[in-house]
Amino acid sequence: MRDLDFNALASELIGNGISPRHAHRTVNELRDHYDDLVDAAVDAGANSKRARRHAAQQLGSMDDFVAAMASQRELKTWAFRYPRLAVVVYPLACVAVLPAFPVFAGMAHRDLLTRWGTALLAAGLITATMMLVLQLTILLS
Amino acid sequence: MARLGKAGDLMAQSNPPFMSGVPELLLLRLLNDQEMYGYELVRSIKQATDEAITLGEGVIYPVLHGLERNGSLKAKRKAVGGRTRVYYSLTRKGRDRLEKLRSDWHRIQSGITSALGAPANA
Repeated sequence: MRDLDFNALASELIGNGISPRHAHRTVNELRDHYDDLVDAAVDAGANSKRARRHAAQQLGSMDDFVAAMASQRELKTWAFRYPRLAVVVYPLACVAVLPAFPVFAGMAHRDLLTRWGTALLAAGLITATMMLVLQLTILLS
Repeated sequence: MARLGKAGDLMAQSNPPFMSGVPELLLLRLLNDQEMYGYELVRSIKQATDEAITLGEGVIYPVLHGLERNGSLKAKRKAVGGRTRVYYSLTRKGRDRLEKLRSDWHRIQSGITSALGAPANA
């Protein structure tokens, strides 16, 4: 049996609707459990490869594990618990948030916007000064 | 080792309806005595049931998380021996749940014992 891929397991749990918080915590606990089983098997005299195979067998089928997690409705994200509601709420939320996107974008690029604003202000001042000088020259000539 | 290979296989070979709810009852019963983490709980289940009940060990985590989510258990992280363990303990709601499950179990057990003791053609 190949070594367990705990990162893939976490992704699979999230893909099945388990909230990321629960998915990552469960996988961490499972990984610790696996390590404990490996340690116990090594202490009992097994070599490393055999110990890991034994530990994986003890943990059971990962498909069963994912199915057991997916059967716990309360561990799922609300969008998976109430899919029909999510279909309505998500687009509405997007429409509501859309006008705020330029503000968020501005906040994210505020350094760039500050430089751009400063340059624009300086250009305006120079132009105004030149116009004023020109106007004065005409008046005084 | 083979007995503990795959929880799903084991349950499929035995009797899934009878196993339904058993891990929950056992976990609540064991956590009623003291807080424990997953690996400890599995060892305790084996010991407490004389290895009559064997589960794929990963199966307890969905049950633990479900019980935590519904308020029957609370989880606490503790650093032990260089590892962070998640210890589970029973809440008041968990004790109530245990009493209900225990009562249900005794009722079912009593009914089955009665049925098994009765003549087959009665």
